[in-house]
Amino acid sequence: MANLLMFHGRECPHCRRMMPLVEKLEEETAVRFDKHEIWHDEKNADLMRSFKPIITPKCGGQLRVPTFINTGTNDVICGEVDYDKLKAWALKK
Amino acid sequence: MKKRYWRCFVCNDIHYGIAPPELCPTCKVLNAYVEITAAEARKILGGGAEVDFTPADFRQAIERFTASNEFMVNPDAERVEILLQGIFENEKNHGFKFCPCRLRTKDWDEDLRLICPCNFTIHETYKGVPDGECWCGLFVRRK
Repeated sequence: MANLLMFHGRECPHCRRMMPLVEKLEEETAVRFDKHEIWHDEKNADLMRSFKPIITPKCGGQLRVPTFINTGTNDVICGEVDYDKLKAWALKK
Repeated sequence: MKKRYWRCFVCNDIHYGIAPPELCPTCKVLNAYVEITAAEARKILGGGAEVDFTPADFRQAIERFTASNEFMVNPDAERVEILLQGIFENEKNHGFKFCPCRLRTKDWDEDLRLICPCNFTIHETYKGVPDGECWCGLFVRRK
């Protein structure tokens, strides 16, 4: 299964709204996200920065959170999406 | 009257005076100045100091900043509270009131554009969007 990363911020309202959807998806499917909080953990921040060339074209030229990355395909979504869109993205080959 | 510090939210020009300029002399944007602390001004200009500005003070500053603009502080109090926590955590840990919903790149010029309030009026989440808002949702288009 592809390696799926989620970058999020502790005080980011978008991230707080997405987290329950991520957890629901993990409960209902075999999908698993490696979750990385980026404002209170500099290692996680550096990891997100390492994906800057992949993330920024999809995220308004910036490193925004929440951002989801499939490290197998470099497919990226950022911001709030509904559960069905997140699920379809996560299960995409 | 006591002079205070003001920052252009578009180009980061700093003004020291009793009131902000209506027109930014550098980028020519109207109503672009928001009040900041002397410490923030010094840091932007190359110095560095602790900032003594409470979240309530900052809340008042952005309320005054938006009063003459087409956008306002989000009426969702819970969201604003979370964002103010993040903004002040970021200032404590990273030196500036960085947006909690983006990550600094460690490039000085790029990161100055992440200081709240940022110039969200050019972002796709706001520009031309009837119910537009800044990326984090602290500011929303006035109805």
